[in-house]
Amino acid sequence: MNLRVVAELISSLDISMGSGFSNDNQNNLSEWDRLLLRVGSDRDRFAFKKLYEHFAPRLKSFLLRIGSDMSAAEEICQESMIMVWRRAETFNPDSAGASTWIFTIARNKRIDKLRKDNRPLPDLNDPSFFQIPVDKSDDILQRLEEEKKITNALKNLPPEQAKLILSAYYEEKSHRKIADETNLPLGTVKSRIRLAINRLRSQLEELEG
Amino acid sequence: MNKQNTLTLLESLLIDYASGSLPLALEVLVESHISMNPSSARSIRMLLQIGGALMENSDPISMSEGSFKRLMDEIDGGQDEEIAKSEVSNDNNKLPLPLRNFISEATFPKNWRRIGIGLSEQTVDFGEELGNAKLYRIAPGFGVPSHSHDGNEVSLVLAGGFTDEYGSYGPGDISIQETGAVHKPVADADGECIVLAVNEGPIVLTSPVGRLLNMLIK
Repeated sequence: MNLRVVAELISSLDISMGSGFSNDNQNNLSEWDRLLLRVGSDRDRFAFKKLYEHFAPRLKSFLLRIGSDMSAAEEICQESMIMVWRRAETFNPDSAGASTWIFTIARNKRIDKLRKDNRPLPDLNDPSFFQIPVDKSDDILQRLEEEKKITNALKNLPPEQAKLILSAYYEEKSHRKIADETNLPLGTVKSRIRLAINRLRSQLEELEG
Repeated sequence: MNKQNTLTLLESLLIDYASGSLPLALEVLVESHISMNPSSARSIRMLLQIGGALMENSDPISMSEGSFKRLMDEIDGGQDEEIAKSEVSNDNNKLPLPLRNFISEATFPKNWRRIGIGLSEQTVDFGEELGNAKLYRIAPGFGVPSHSHDGNEVSLVLAGGFTDEYGSYGPGDISIQETGAVHKPVADADGECIVLAVNEGPIVLTSPVGRLLNMLIK
């Protein structure tokens, strides 16, 4: 067995164990992160189609869950995915994964739409429009670790707490509706949501130890 | 308002920011705050990550028939519209980036309106009725007359610092005044203090001189 074969074997083991020891950080990225990078670097339509098929139906479902109606949800999905295509080259896997990045784009699109529907506004050409706040020690491994912990923590939440966490992302009008239905003041509803987020945050911090 | 309450309200503000439910003036205020405050930046990062995870874990619901093709047609047909580059200059270097889109470099130095001794203000136009936004400039050691708020007010220190009955605030710090709260901020002695204040309702000055000023600033 020559060295080259051994080297290949070792590097393939590295990948299959999904370990963080690889020097090639690409190996640590999710399939979606890699597809997004390919859209950014090569305008790869096949990669974009796969991203669309994965994310658009999930984003639509999420938007419906947080209070958008059917036509708004579809529209925000389409506009967000256009933005994904156009802005893919600015995707930086050090600071965010594909799902966080696309969520952030959809968040901005939804705001845009709500503003346009309510009162006309000049275009929001905000330079921080697409930024995920940076961490000093930003690197892929840390970011992946954070997102993995969040996914795991969300999976293990009791259903009641999971509902509260989701409701943090509701449209404002849904918060008012909850307040009406539960006969609680709006401030109390928001306070309970905040406490649920804080509890999740401390769960995440415990995982750190 | 004491520090604990401020922290609580700040946490709610950050959640509302992540979910995209703030009026524009507060959205820009929070964005400016997180550009200056690493701890809140980490909170926002976590909230966006949670949002991303909730989105990805939602049970997929099919898009309507032919939506991908319509999307590609739009991409191919549409002039790949230039994403508007913001005309941001570095001249207003006392202002955080997110705010510079709303304050013109040319008018910023000229727009100050003197409203008291050592105190000037200028309005920031966010084009929205909700969230009346003003910049205040307080000379070192000078104060804003004691006043209460008819509606919640969120203030962000952009430069310098001030102290009021509830604590001291430096660059990047947020102070929140609830409806009816009375305070009398005084700028630190070592430099001028610039504050962005977003208010849901008109400010009501409570000292005798303040009552006089009330009439002037209406």
